[in-house]
Amino acid sequence: MSLEKIEVDALVVGSGIAGLQSALDLADQGYSVAIVERNPSIGGKMISLSKVFPTLDCASCITTPRMASVSHHPRITTLTYSTVDAIRREGKTFTAAITRKPRYIDEKECISCKRCEEVCPVFLPDEYEQGMGAKKTISIPFTNAIPQFPVMHPEHCIRCGACARACPKDCIDFLQEPAPVEIKAKAVILATGYETTPMTAKKQYGLGALPNVISPMAAERLLAPHGPYGRVLRPSDGMTPGSIAYVQCAGSRDKSIGIPYCSRVCCMYAIKQAILLSGSLPIADITIYYMDIRAFGKGYEQFYNNARAMGINFVKAKVARITEDENHNPVVRIEKQEGTSGPEEIKHELVILSQGLVPACDGSKFGLGAANNEFGFVKLSDETVSSAVTDGAGVFVAGTAKGPRDIPDSVVDAGSAAIEAASYIRRL
Amino acid sequence: MKVNPELIDEIKKYGAFDISACFNCGNCTAVCPLSKEDASFPRKLIRAGHVGMEEKVASALEPWHCYYCGECSATCPREAQPGEYMMALRRYLIAKYDITGLSKIFYKTGWLQAWLAAGLLAAFYWLYSSYTGDFGALAGKIELAFPVYVTIALGGYIINMYRHTIVKPLGGIKASLKPAHIYDTLVHGFTQKNFNGCEETDWTRWIAHLLVMSGYVLTLLISNLHLLSPLDKQYVAFGPVSLLVWYSGLAILVGGGIMSSRRVLKSAQSSKFSHPSDWLFVVTMFLIGASLLFTHFLNVAYGPGDPLLAKIYRLNIAIETVWIILIVPFTKWIHIFFRPLAVYFQHVRKEAEAGTAFSI
Repeated sequence: MSLEKIEVDALVVGSGIAGLQSALDLADQGYSVAIVERNPSIGGKMISLSKVFPTLDCASCITTPRMASVSHHPRITTLTYSTVDAIRREGKTFTAAITRKPRYIDEKECISCKRCEEVCPVFLPDEYEQGMGAKKTISIPFTNAIPQFPVMHPEHCIRCGACARACPKDCIDFLQEPAPVEIKAKAVILATGYETTPMTAKKQYGLGALPNVISPMAAERLLAPHGPYGRVLRPSDGMTPGSIAYVQCAGSRDKSIGIPYCSRVCCMYAIKQAILLSGSLPIADITIYYMDIRAFGKGYEQFYNNARAMGINFVKAKVARITEDENHNPVVRIEKQEGTSGPEEIKHELVILSQGLVPACDGSKFGLGAANNEFGFVKLSDETVSSAVTDGAGVFVAGTAKGPRDIPDSVVDAGSAAIEAASYIRRL
Repeated sequence: MKVNPELIDEIKKYGAFDISACFNCGNCTAVCPLSKEDASFPRKLIRAGHVGMEEKVASALEPWHCYYCGECSATCPREAQPGEYMMALRRYLIAKYDITGLSKIFYKTGWLQAWLAAGLLAAFYWLYSSYTGDFGALAGKIELAFPVYVTIALGGYIINMYRHTIVKPLGGIKASLKPAHIYDTLVHGFTQKNFNGCEETDWTRWIAHLLVMSGYVLTLLISNLHLLSPLDKQYVAFGPVSLLVWYSGLAILVGGGIMSSRRVLKSAQSSKFSHPSDWLFVVTMFLIGASLLFTHFLNVAYGPGDPLLAKIYRLNIAIETVWIILIVPFTKWIHIFFRPLAVYFQHVRKEAEAGTAFSI
């Protein structure tokens, strides 16, 4: 297989909102950019969110235009479904070894007609819908994915050939192999983002085995207009939940699970989801169990006060245990601290764990001199001076790769990373 | 209410060095399987300690309900060690209940009690060795004096605990005469059944306690009834008295050995932090078991006239003397009495609240 070579000014690793924004900001200044994404679509976590706080703007309405701009930009090369295997520093340039994973279709020929997806007989749990919906073994990852290419999962494919027969362009290629790509760049921006703390992080919260204790990402999908069920239903039996609880600090500010820092977004996304839930389930009781509400950004405190005024019940308590009754109703055990205090067990019908943010990628593994901080996020060389400069020359960081932050902060950071990278490239 | 701003620093002298990290989230109280609506802990007492509510802390019964399963410390988001705080409170309360004030000094000054014990042991051994009369008869008298001394010491504690937890907060002498309450207290006293109220029963710890307790009670029985006079007659290896001795000695050795190794290995939350008084307790316990066994072995194997037996028996009595004089009445040992008493006093408080308590 011939090695595809790309030469650009800057390489952006990750295409979440931070990666998209820094790629756009660099490209609009006249620099050429390559953006590498391991998933089949660009857009990162944000494209799967329902709405954003505190304005309740539609998340895809903000992300999709940026995704489109990036994919159509003359100076941006987008590599999706591709992994960065290594980045070597050679003098003043970086050489990145990329592997394009096979989609098993000819991307040059595919016209995104979805015929293959329609005829495919095998259904899989859809990880984009957090396992709540189903997708075909060959399918376009989600409605507004960019690029609109289907991906085949050979481990589930039964080789029936239905897709190949249905394809009008004859572009199904069962023999496709991973393809190496080499990118030469003068600067690297790490925008590798976050993962939420796993559902199995805390033994006392059921280790992910309680069907009606769900992740906030799953709740986002339930609330999204194009979500798996089109409305809010609980996973175990499809019932409309009448009592919903949020467990704050379920994956951060907890030394016992090794994550002592505050994840900065959980209070706000829980409040946002609670507000959206009271829209879609007007008679549901919604409780947020919190240690303290951290509503620190512009308009956030007002947002919190609005939620209180809407009747969302805020209870100061750290949930110590979650069990369930015979109908899979989650039961939370807390200490009431108001009135006659003492331990108490309260039954809900759906519980959402407000998980924290942990790094998605170890940025130091590339050996570019960019060190990690004690929690595995990319360390800034001096955060009082710049919010993007790392310990490695020519290596910059944007978004949640350097620590938990919300979308507005990530966008601002991404601009700052683009400026730092541009000024570095100019000085070379 | 009077506030003592130095209270938390005072409690920290008894352990619980990390408690200032607490941010009052209540995880500990909610996760605790023994915490109840009418006796909720540890968070409330941590708060009381932080804000200096000395009378509330001194009158607390909750520390005696805690069996230190360690669930609260293991899940504390701040690693503030609430379980260890409850342990420190138990030490603080023992010092509070102790009329002589010696427990307080021993708890606060590290290894002082251990050094004193070592010194006293040497002194008593020397004293017993230089006694020229019939040591067997003397030992009998010494052993008879033990229960008298312990009863006086214990009486002082119980009266003082009653004063702090009932008389002061309730403003008078109150009691409950309901048979159910008295029965409940006795059951807790003999079985310490709340041990198993913890979510995951720590069976090793429970068995170690059971072995040590049963061995220890039997040892007390043997010495107080003066069942053993190893300098006067030879015992059969498997006679009734011998069987008692073998069991109690081995039980103490095995139980004490488990306890010590857990403290060395820090294998459970409850054994992570060891105060010198804990070490003194398990080590002396171990020595009592070992010297008892050795004495009896020498008697059975070589007869009452064995010269080594004479020495080891004196050592055995010297260890027991130090144990009774210095270790039983101060610091750790008495905790077994406060747990059932706290159960009883909790009943008294409820009765008093309902206005049905017996009062003077």
